[in-house]
Amino acid sequence: MAAKPGAATPTYSPKIVGRSRLPIFKDSDLDWSRPDGRGFHQCRPALLQTGAVSSASGSAYAEFGNTKVIVSVFGPRESKKAMVYSDVGRLNCNVSYTNFASPTLGQGTDHKEYSSMLHKALEGVIMMETFPKTTVDVFALVLESGGSDLSVLISCASLALADAGIMMYDLITAVSVSCIGKSLMIDPVTEEEGCEDGSFMMTCMPSRYEITQLTITGEWTTPNINEAMQLCLDASSKLGEIMRDCLKQSASASDE
Amino acid sequence: MTTGLVTPGDVIGKATEFKAGKGAYVNDATIYASLTGTCRIVSPLPESIDQRAIVEVTGHKAHGPIPETGSVVIARVTKVMTKMAAVDILCVGSKAVRENFAGVIRQQDVRATEIDKVDMHQSFHAGDIVRAMVLSLGDARAYYLSTAKNELGVVSAESAAGETMVPISWTEMQCPLSGQTEQRKVAKVGN
Repeated sequence: MAAKPGAATPTYSPKIVGRSRLPIFKDSDLDWSRPDGRGFHQCRPALLQTGAVSSASGSAYAEFGNTKVIVSVFGPRESKKAMVYSDVGRLNCNVSYTNFASPTLGQGTDHKEYSSMLHKALEGVIMMETFPKTTVDVFALVLESGGSDLSVLISCASLALADAGIMMYDLITAVSVSCIGKSLMIDPVTEEEGCEDGSFMMTCMPSRYEITQLTITGEWTTPNINEAMQLCLDASSKLGEIMRDCLKQSASASDE
Repeated sequence: MTTGLVTPGDVIGKATEFKAGKGAYVNDATIYASLTGTCRIVSPLPESIDQRAIVEVTGHKAHGPIPETGSVVIARVTKVMTKMAAVDILCVGSKAVRENFAGVIRQQDVRATEIDKVDMHQSFHAGDIVRAMVLSLGDARAYYLSTAKNELGVVSAESAAGETMVPISWTEMQCPLSGQTEQRKVAKVGN
């Protein structure tokens, strides 16, 4: 199966609807610019593509700036013999990094929790009862680590599951926000993640307006959490539209 | 109400106007798609009480088929034992599975008559292709299959000489090369 062309989309930017508070940027922040020249609330350009791995039931490739991720979905296939009988399906997730993904990355010791976080994000959205006694395996590989790796992984994995024909309640999109000083920066790159005071990642179903995962680390004030949540919801809605266009494009391309 | 291509989570109708069919689900009076594919409306059967049209999504790339209770499968026998035969399920209906599922045909499920006198080694041999029906999801190891119908049983087998044998009765197959007959639980051909 040849790779299907995905949508090379321009940058999308969330807006805070109905916002009435003063701008969060002070005069001292006016000369600050992000390493890649984006505004504080501007996401990186996104490239999404399905059908990247021919041997998988479904697969997807995603590029968000320098973050490059490929996800393969296998199954539903037979569970291993050792597992107990189950009336609902099972989901296995595995996240790994290539050796060349990051100049400073160790031998895969830093991201052991990513597999379980991906699993928690995905299990809320898959209809497990539609494939009883079988297993769906999701393999995610980070080809290049350029910041916000986990959120890119989760979005790409939901695209791969939809490509595989697994029944889902909705697509899921994940967005990260970094808190640096008094500023919130959406979709941070590696340099920003390195000097952030706090990080915030949210996974939600854009059509259903429900959250499947929320991760907050570092120091946050409640107004900042609310603002970050609004930022993520708006960005997720826009990213969801991009993902739907990508799926429809590949579906219509294969039907021709 | 939308038709055309939909993706999981797209709103495709209201539950008061349509019923959710294949590839769709209802949440709080709204029908959403759960697959990527084409959305279409199916008229209800004239005799059904609920006269709402059915909205369903045909997956443009459905995942490989999964054996379900009651589905007819094509399987290859991998091992024959005294009480059961182990098989690999190759097709569900007319679709090939991407990866084999393990199944088992127990002695009591080989045929509908004379259950106590079934000899497994005179019903199946390793390498035979059988048509069977899924009795249940079984246990953690295998699906439970049954060949206790006339249309179920061995559909293709090789003789000791390596030729594909011809069924000559419901219990015998004959090698066209050597003329030797072998015992099998033969499926009735013709459909």
